[in-house]
Amino acid sequence: MLSAFLSAFRTPDLRKKLLFTLGMIVIYRLGATLPSPGVSYGNVQQCIKLVQNGSNGVFSLLNLFSGGALLQLSVFALGIMPYITASIILQLLTVVIPRLEQLRKEGQAGQAKITQYTRYLTLGLAILQASAFVALARSGQLFNNQCDQFPAIPQTKIPMWLTVSVIVITMTAGTGVIMWLGEMVTDKGIGNGMSVLIFTSIAARLPSEGWSIKTSRGWPVFALIIAIGLIVITAVVFMEQAQRRVPVQYAKRMVGRRMYGGTSTYIPLKVNQAGVIPVIFASSLLYLPQLALQLMDANHPNALYTFIDRHLIKQNDWVNITVYFLLILFFTYFYVSITFNPTEVADNMKKYGGFVPGIRPGKPTSEYLDFILSRITAPGALYLAIIAVLPNLFMGLVGNNKQNFPFGGTAVLIIVGVGLETVKQIESQLMQRNYEGFLR
Amino acid sequence: MAESKRRDEDAVDEHLDEVLDDAVDDDSLDDEDASAAARKATAVRTKSKDDGDKTDKKTVKDASDDRPGIFGRIGRFIREIVAELRKVIWPTRKELLTYATVVVVFVAIMLTVVGLLDLGFAKAVLFVFGKGQK
Repeated sequence: MLSAFLSAFRTPDLRKKLLFTLGMIVIYRLGATLPSPGVSYGNVQQCIKLVQNGSNGVFSLLNLFSGGALLQLSVFALGIMPYITASIILQLLTVVIPRLEQLRKEGQAGQAKITQYTRYLTLGLAILQASAFVALARSGQLFNNQCDQFPAIPQTKIPMWLTVSVIVITMTAGTGVIMWLGEMVTDKGIGNGMSVLIFTSIAARLPSEGWSIKTSRGWPVFALIIAIGLIVITAVVFMEQAQRRVPVQYAKRMVGRRMYGGTSTYIPLKVNQAGVIPVIFASSLLYLPQLALQLMDANHPNALYTFIDRHLIKQNDWVNITVYFLLILFFTYFYVSITFNPTEVADNMKKYGGFVPGIRPGKPTSEYLDFILSRITAPGALYLAIIAVLPNLFMGLVGNNKQNFPFGGTAVLIIVGVGLETVKQIESQLMQRNYEGFLR
Repeated sequence: MAESKRRDEDAVDEHLDEVLDDAVDDDSLDDEDASAAARKATAVRTKSKDDGDKTDKKTVKDASDDRPGIFGRIGRFIREIVAELRKVIWPTRKELLTYATVVVVFVAIMLTVVGLLDLGFAKAVLFVFGKGQK
């Protein structure tokens, strides 16, 4: 197997792609460590140390998704979150606004336009979030007011408004760079850029979080968590590999004096056709209330504030878990409906003289595919939701706090899902050269 | 020449199809009647041969026919899910183990790479920007 990893590097074009992706990851991590101008790196480091001993966690999810960059107030502090949020919003709007739907149906050109809108929206969201976080950092709320002796943004001779606006501009520009990095990875590298960057962020947090579990709870708990992780990995691989094969027969056709076609293949419909995107979408939607909470007045809490504070943002509260569960179910169906269009597949099959045995081509075929897809996505969605939620529930029962969140289902699901996707893409590239990949 | 020959063959096929004409969709490929006819013929043949997919079609039809109560519909939906799940091809034990191992190895490699990068960058940034003041 190791030799296969080596042979992946020996294939010239694959090596180029791998190195390109790695290079993008290096830039991403550099930006995540680099402090924004006007931020005192040493003070922030002190604060993080202080907060980690205490009970933080308001921003744990956000901090996880930005790879620890958020609390450091670095150039890439916002991470890929604004981009994800923007693309969710636009995809949801596509269903609602007729003009966007028209654009999507236009094909390549329309898609490019939608991407363009996504980018603008991303920048807008980035400005919003950056201002919110800078305001929080200045007031000390970012570190739960535990860190007032080390100001994150110390006073200098430069007027404060200038410093603050420079930080906001830097973070927004950082988000723009991340967006570009993600698209470059999708374009020239391996895997889906957005997923790869999230993968990197989570990978950056895992070792330190694991170590903190080990030091605070000892070896047995640590071993238990590793074991749970392995079980989850196997379960994820099992479900991601399962597929329903719809047989397709191609008609023989005469072109000139030759016979063509007559082959039989199948359409692979995965049980979880959507991959890990629903989980990413659901969890990034669930962080919005946290953000809203910070913008609300904490001194005069109204009913909504108390509800969000007590239930919605607590990782192991039943309201949070239920909402998360339902969101994942919704997004799985939603994403499958976006990525797999039965009518299009049926039309394509008809065009090339293919048909499902026993089903007429055209509309009946598309209805048949739709029937299978909607039935088979149900267990797929349930599996995603259960894997994402179960560890949280379990940890809630055991009585751990949300410090263990990085080892919750969401993170493991994203890690394994993206890992599997990337590995399979490498594998298929490898197969073009030599016939033995590493997934024999 | 070849054209007329094919026409002859078609005539036979067409005759065969006449009975099932309403059951066969022929709005496409009107100009290429040869291949269309060939397709029809295969369609008819496979239809009679393939029993498994015939039952599939029946369930599709059933779904749009009668409308029982909400529980009945949920029950049927679940039964259909189970029926589809039976046709799913699950990975074998060997496949599962190889994929799981490969993923674990890949993740481990990425963890090390990212961890080393972070360590290096943190050191470098600390060196450049210093400890900070109160």
